[in-house]
Amino acid sequence: MIETALTYFFTVAAVLGGMLMLVARHPMRAALALVCSMLSLAGVYAMLGVHVIAVFQVLIYVGAVMIFMVYTIMLLDVRDPSFTRRWSGLLVPGVLGAGALSAVIAWALRDAGDAPASASTEAFGVQSFAVTFLEEYWLYFELSSVLLVAAVIAAIAALRAGGGRDG
Amino acid sequence: MAEQQFLLAASAVLFSLGLLGVIIRRNALVMLMSMELMLNGVNLSLVTFASAAGSTEAAVLVFLVFVVAAAEIAIAIPIVLALARRRGTLDAGSWTELKG
Amino acid sequence: MGALTLIVLLPLLGFLLNGLLGGRLGRTFVNVVGCGLPLLAFVVAALTVRDLAAAGYPAVIETVYTWAAFGDRSFEIAFLLDRLSAVMVLIVTGVGTLIHLYSTGYMKGDPGYARYFAYLNLFLFFMLLLVLGRSLLVLFVGWEGVGLASYLLIGFWFSDPEKSAAGKKAFITNRIGDAGFLLGMFLLWQALGTLDMDAINAAFAAGPVPGLSAALVGILLFVGATGKSAQIPLHVWLPDAMAGPTPVSALIHAATMVTAGVYLVARLSGVYLVAPEASAVIATIGVLTAFFAATIAVVQTDIKKVLAYSTVSQLGFMFVALGVGAYGVAVFHLYTHAFFKACLFLGAGSVIHALGGEQDIRRMSGLARRIPVTFATFAVATAAIAGLPPLAGFFSKDEILWYALASERGGSTLLFATAALTALMTAFYMFRLLWRVFMGASRMSHEVEHHVHESPPSMTGVLVVLAVLSAVGGFFSIPHFLEPVLPLPTIDPAMEHFHVPLLVLSVALGLTGLALAAWLYAGDASRAARLEARFAGLHRLLTGKYYVDEFYEAAIGRPLEWLSRRVFLGLGDRILLDGTLHGLAGLARRAAGGFARIQTGSLQAYVLLGLAGLVLLLTWSLGNG
Repeated sequence: MIETALTYFFTVAAVLGGMLMLVARHPMRAALALVCSMLSLAGVYAMLGVHVIAVFQVLIYVGAVMIFMVYTIMLLDVRDPSFTRRWSGLLVPGVLGAGALSAVIAWALRDAGDAPASASTEAFGVQSFAVTFLEEYWLYFELSSVLLVAAVIAAIAALRAGGGRDG
Repeated sequence: MAEQQFLLAASAVLFSLGLLGVIIRRNALVMLMSMELMLNGVNLSLVTFASAAGSTEAAVLVFLVFVVAAAEIAIAIPIVLALARRRGTLDAGSWTELKG
Repeated sequence: MGALTLIVLLPLLGFLLNGLLGGRLGRTFVNVVGCGLPLLAFVVAALTVRDLAAAGYPAVIETVYTWAAFGDRSFEIAFLLDRLSAVMVLIVTGVGTLIHLYSTGYMKGDPGYARYFAYLNLFLFFMLLLVLGRSLLVLFVGWEGVGLASYLLIGFWFSDPEKSAAGKKAFITNRIGDAGFLLGMFLLWQALGTLDMDAINAAFAAGPVPGLSAALVGILLFVGATGKSAQIPLHVWLPDAMAGPTPVSALIHAATMVTAGVYLVARLSGVYLVAPEASAVIATIGVLTAFFAATIAVVQTDIKKVLAYSTVSQLGFMFVALGVGAYGVAVFHLYTHAFFKACLFLGAGSVIHALGGEQDIRRMSGLARRIPVTFATFAVATAAIAGLPPLAGFFSKDEILWYALASERGGSTLLFATAALTALMTAFYMFRLLWRVFMGASRMSHEVEHHVHESPPSMTGVLVVLAVLSAVGGFFSIPHFLEPVLPLPTIDPAMEHFHVPLLVLSVALGLTGLALAAWLYAGDASRAARLEARFAGLHRLLTGKYYVDEFYEAAIGRPLEWLSRRVFLGLGDRILLDGTLHGLAGLARRAAGGFARIQTGSLQAYVLLGLAGLVLLLTWSLGNG
């Protein structure tokens, strides 16, 4: 019972964090709102019993990606108009479009009931996860490392190329 | 409302919010964050299904999404920095050279 | 390969050799190929006809190739040799060879020497295809081919715009006739399912053909013949065709090609035998052409133009014979005409050659002593065309006059009287030509006179041969020879006893013409000049050739040009076609401009559009299922 309540709580918190990110004027505030949203999602995952993912969510998203973002924001010039003016020219059509998308998805989910809960939390232990990964999805595991290496090289290349104007 | 349904609705809302952020926010970094939010929305639905079906496949997929997100951000941030240095702004509305 | 195929292909080989290699291998090669292969064709033809004669002239059919087959019908390329085509083949190859020989002298030194012989050989090829073809279709191929060769040779000196225009005029005028020819062929094919001319004749001989009017077919095919044989109203091209080299005028525009229409009608006599209306049309057109062309010839001052109108007039005579059912007689006149008109043209060529290109007879005179061989042959041929016995023209023209009067298939006194008057005029204008050119005191400038010289032996030799043939050709009675294939019409019994008086009249007409010309043009031709001044209006009308060209220009040319310029070019091309195309292009450009505005370059606008697409897709897919 407490778990269900916490699930709902974290879910609402995640959505609220997303909304906050959207309306925050300064990117730093937006980043912090997003961190909140992600942490809440990690809570949801934990409540659902998928602890491994919850841990990775905190480590990778909050610990790596968002920190990276925050450093970048700190590197940049805050007098840039993009830091002071929130909205692009497409505010109204964007809101209408997103509303329509939500409505369509909600309509698609209108009579989806719950599947019978068969999950045991044991199924999502690190062990079973690792076994599944290395026995069945080892190729994707290896390929993801290739992807990361490629990303590192691309990042270096982009920085070199991007430094064109001031050396 | 059932729990799974609620979670799925939340995932849809998160995805839509992310998309909305990409469209309406002026700052390129916030647009990137909005994309992360979209990925998170998708992840939420995947985890919900994984938990409901009791299988690890969906969780594996979520893990791969993490990797892709990390790679994406690793490339996107240098690009944003390069743009900022070259143009002096992160305003997405001021980059319209590829006009038809 | 059969003998007939060989006859046809030899000149084609000559065309290919001369056309492809002639320019490089020099004059001797061109001479040997250009004259040798037609001569060889003539020899083969003569041998084949000799064999045929030994067998009693059965119709020989040589099928070369099945062109196309549809169900039980088929087009075959087949050659037919019977008495009629034997005569034609011998004329074509014989006269053709002589004129090739003559050309070696006449065209000497022309930069287009090899090209000239290539064209001439090409002409012979198509002409042989025309006279030997069994099917109307093969005949038509030859028919068009000789038109092409004629076009090429009229415009041989194409750098002169007037000459190339004459070539075009000939080609286009012929095309009008060809339309009729084609329609006639279509009708025959539709009704009979065959275009083999022996089969067509047999079908009409067997009784009325259901769904096909012989008169209509006959007249349509005759329209084709009027184009090729320069009959009213399509006669206008032939005088202009004299722009070509003179031997070409002799071969194509006098001896052979222009008689193709006569051959066509004679070949399809089966159709005309059961179509008296069509025959009446032919006779009428023929006699009108003969008469009007003769009146024009009386006043022409260009030596070749006189001969050209004379040719038109003589062709009219042949059509008179065809119109009254005397097909053999028409071919007889064709045969004698080939000799004497070729001789006349080549003689004229010799005169022009002697005078260094002068064609105006008002600036010629007294040439008889300077170029005696030319004079002698020209005189013989003139007497022949005037119908003086015992020369060739006398026999054939007399027969035409006789059948025009006495044939039971449309002979009449009016027809005869007009033809006889024309015969008188023929004699007059021919002797007028002879007198002005060869007789009297020299009116030429001293310098020109100094250069006058007799033509080389290659030319005079041919002239002599043709003069001899013009003299004795009439003793071989073609109508009699052709009677098994082209029976002569029965004679109106009431006219029977006019035969001998008519002979006398015929001779008298020729002599009258001679006397009249001699009297009028004796001395300094002052009598002729007075006559001309007296009838100035008539003279203008005649020198203006009845203003037929001007009439066509005003009645057809101008309206057509107006229509083309205003309606087809202005409305159709500029507004309709260009307008449509430019409109489509403009539409595409405007639409593209509109779509291009979507591509703002703004990343977020693209995402918004993607979002809209996503919503639409989801709605659609959910709505469907």
